Amino acid sequence: MFRVISRGRIKSPWIFHLNTGSCNGCDIEVVAAFTPRYDLERFGCLLVGSPRHADVLLVTGPVTRQMLPRLIRVYEQIPEPKVVVAVGTCASSGSPFLGSEMIEGPADRIIPVDAYVVGCPPRPEAIVKGVVMAVMSKFR
Amino acid sequence: MDAVVAFLISIPISPLLSLLFEGIDRKLHARMQKRIGPPVLQPFYDLIKLLGKERIIPATASTRIFEIMPMVSTASSLLGASILLSNILSNSNIVGDLILIIYLLAMSSIALIVGGSASGNPYSAIGFSRKISMMIAYEIPMLIAVISMAFGPSPSLAVSSIIEFQVSRGLPLVASRLSMALAAAAFLLCIPAAASVVPFDIPEAKTEIIYGFLIEYGGPYLALAKVSKSVLNFTLTLLASAIFLYIPSLLGEAALLNLGLSLFLCLIVSLLIMFITITVPRTVLARLKVGQALKFYWVLPLTLSFSSIILSAVNL
Repeated sequence: MFRVISRGRIKSPWIFHLNTGSCNGCDIEVVAAFTPRYDLERFGCLLVGSPRHADVLLVTGPVTRQMLPRLIRVYEQIPEPKVVVAVGTCASSGSPFLGSEMIEGPADRIIPVDAYVVGCPPRPEAIVKGVVMAVMSKFR
Repeated sequence: MDAVVAFLISIPISPLLSLLFEGIDRKLHARMQKRIGPPVLQPFYDLIKLLGKERIIPATASTRIFEIMPMVSTASSLLGASILLSNILSNSNIVGDLILIIYLLAMSSIALIVGGSASGNPYSAIGFSRKISMMIAYEIPMLIAVISMAFGPSPSLAVSSIIEFQVSRGLPLVASRLSMALAAAAFLLCIPAAASVVPFDIPEAKTEIIYGFLIEYGGPYLALAKVSKSVLNFTLTLLASAIFLYIPSLLGEAALLNLGLSLFLCLIVSLLIMFITITVPRTVLARLKVGQALKFYWVLPLTLSFSSIILSAVNL
């Protein structure tokens, strides 16, 4: 019974994508991961528009001060069990903006992050792998 | 087969079949876009996952209605599907069950939008109003297409007697008269709107109003809503294949003796109908506006179904 549930969770991670002040580079690559060439849907992923439907939160960008309460709110709106993937160097480490007083990030200072996909922007294959690995390690 | 036994068998079978149909639909949709696509069993995985998730009820929602309505919706569409399936399986004669099935399907859509709009989310309210306008658009031609059965060659509103008529003629109803062909065309044109798939997914509009009335549903409630919608799609296609395109009637009397085989043929035909009316439009077309959809339904399918009634009045 437990195996059936965990298999269902691994096989259908629905993704909610949140831009926390990204330059839009990572967001384009996230959308590219759903195109026919990379086809994230073959792992059962769907890009959903409402956090209530989601299992995976893709965070892009170095969490600006404006986005801080929204990030926490969206994270809390996702029903348990959930996975967070930080996409891009900004979300993983805050890289060029680290130390700026305008940002509160990187994302793992605010919410628990399960996988980091680095790159500026990361390639769609890397995003696919990040999502699949995060889901596999958390839900198995 | 005994009617009660057939009914009890079809209650678990109909959601299984409809989830399988949905999986096939998603696979075909992906293949037409040159993608690999999710596995055929994907809707089952989605269902298992959603049932195991946390239940969240928004603070702004009126709790009781929000909780109960997905169950009402699933129950009514399941009941409609099982009545239809058990009629095909057992030839039990229930007077007017065609009207009952259409009514239950409308009931399942209405229960879902009422529950969704009880969440207090403004997007649900937009979805609610759009779904009501869409129902005004497609329910009327669809009901008239079904009611034209009563004026047709087999004046009856019971699924099993329509099936028996088709078997006795040895021809599907579409091929027997022009009026029935027009009614079938109107019914098939109404399926994409009733299933709310892409050219007519105005009430849900994923990229526009974020699933409309489903926006606040998550976890088990969303699972029930998904089951309800996929059972509704399955029932519509199966209904079209049973009353208009009963292909097993070509076998003659053997169709009534060998009910398993005729159910199998019927399911194959409904799979084809699903491909033509749900998968192809949602792959090749873009979303319309409410006004355009209303105009489309009140021009083409309504004319078709009215002319079907007029033609059957003069025995064509």
